[in-house]
Amino acid sequence: MAIAISATMVFIAPILWMVTTAFKTGNQAFSADVQWFFIPTLDNFARVLTGSNFSFALVNSLQVSIFSSFIAIVLASGIAYPLARFDIRGKAGIAGTILSFRIIPPIVTIIPLFLVMRTIGLNGTLASIIILHVFMNLPLAVWLLRGFFEDVPKEIEEAAHIDGLGHVQTFVRIVVPLAMPGIAATALLCFVFSWNEFLFASILSSAGSQTVTVALTQYVTPVGTQWTQIMAAGTLVAIPVWIAALSAQKYLVRGLTFGAVK
Amino acid sequence: MSPGLLFLAAIAIYPTIYSLVLSFTQWRITTGDAPRFVGFDNYSQILADPAFWNSVRVTFTFVVFSVAIEFALAFLLALVFFRGLPGEKIMRSLILLPMLCAPVVIGLLARFSLEPNFGIVNQLMRSVGLPTTEFLGSPDLALPTLIAIDIWQWTPFLFLIFLAAMQGIPEDIIEASKLDGATWPRIVWHQFLPLLKYPIMVGLLLRLIDTFRVYDIVFMTTRGGPIDVTSTMSWQIYDVGFRSFTISYAAAYSWLMLIIVLTMMNFLIRRMAVRA
Repeated sequence: MAIAISATMVFIAPILWMVTTAFKTGNQAFSADVQWFFIPTLDNFARVLTGSNFSFALVNSLQVSIFSSFIAIVLASGIAYPLARFDIRGKAGIAGTILSFRIIPPIVTIIPLFLVMRTIGLNGTLASIIILHVFMNLPLAVWLLRGFFEDVPKEIEEAAHIDGLGHVQTFVRIVVPLAMPGIAATALLCFVFSWNEFLFASILSSAGSQTVTVALTQYVTPVGTQWTQIMAAGTLVAIPVWIAALSAQKYLVRGLTFGAVK
Repeated sequence: MSPGLLFLAAIAIYPTIYSLVLSFTQWRITTGDAPRFVGFDNYSQILADPAFWNSVRVTFTFVVFSVAIEFALAFLLALVFFRGLPGEKIMRSLILLPMLCAPVVIGLLARFSLEPNFGIVNQLMRSVGLPTTEFLGSPDLALPTLIAIDIWQWTPFLFLIFLAAMQGIPEDIIEASKLDGATWPRIVWHQFLPLLKYPIMVGLLLRLIDTFRVYDIVFMTTRGGPIDVTSTMSWQIYDVGFRSFTISYAAAYSWLMLIIVLTMMNFLIRRMAVRA
């Protein structure tokens, strides 16, 4: 028990420190001793949200994460459902190839993709980041959705066919509602990965299309680093992900391992 | 063919071929010149470049130490938790928080915590009489510090997988071994490891894939420095591609990285498949 509590403290202490610093004044944050008890202030959050382009980046990130997750789910369903239900030639090969995209380091793909985006004139737009995040999340979504679609009892679908529903109708009216918890969890995980993503977003974004992770890097300047505000910004970036991931906690292992475990 | 597959093919295959072609040319995107075909020049130049071999060494050091230590810590921690403790669910959720933070946030937090004057780590060290240390600025400590940050952030990931797997082990297997007089270390060694082989394999492979591409943390903390002790392969490619703008050189570099990753993964997956 003592080990469990101390281990928890090790993992949580720096985060606790970040969150508490976000509520401190400069004097409280930089006093010689760490202050765990103090009167909290919302100043840092107010400054972060009003005094810079950070709130703009929050809106950008929300758009990127929501749109890219939604598109990833729609496109992935089109691949995952046939993989789950129909006998297709080379099924295992298709699934394996999709999974293998996970192995390629993003830095390897970003150079050609950057050039392609430049050629088609999407460089610096939110659309380019959304497209890359869809690309990044598609393998995950396909693998997870395939598992969730397989979990839907086949008999219900067969009954729907007998009642005269086609494949598309069966999918939309029977399978999707039944697999909804899984679909929602998949969407939440895609949201998390997109929200946290930095490399693609940093190389493809312009001043107008910064996501939150990119905006965070702008805070660190050699002179006059405002640590209390940075910690407030960091907290604001972390919170949506904590909420999203912890609400999908039941599916977290499945999601993080592409359904490969359990 | 479904639209999703078309999208994947378009965004994966076309750029891959593009980058391969590019890697055989000389091209700097800041000048207006067109790419010029140079054959294997980029590749031979990279292979003769000490900076490339340094980045390979840095990356492998980072990968091996991070993954090995994360594995050991996560396994032990899962053993502490798997039989159920009061407040287990809350503690587990709290332990997961680091890995749910964007690596960029973790990088910022690391810089703040390790700051020499007011950072919490140095404050604690001073309070027990240790000297103020520049963790991220020291050529000896920068890489071990990055490894420590990765361990702190990602041990929870393996912990989560191992915990779920251990909780799936039927209780009677453990009971039976106990009745046979087996001690805990023996049960873990002879029962747990074989039963958990698959989750362990998957967890390790995923960690290897992710640590190999380490970039965000380097970007936020050391930017490859001091000198080049934390210059990982991903960082190097970014540096030559997007800071020096020698895009064709960076493309060749990426291909070498891809070859290394695929070879390594192929080798590991085969070895693990043989053992499983």
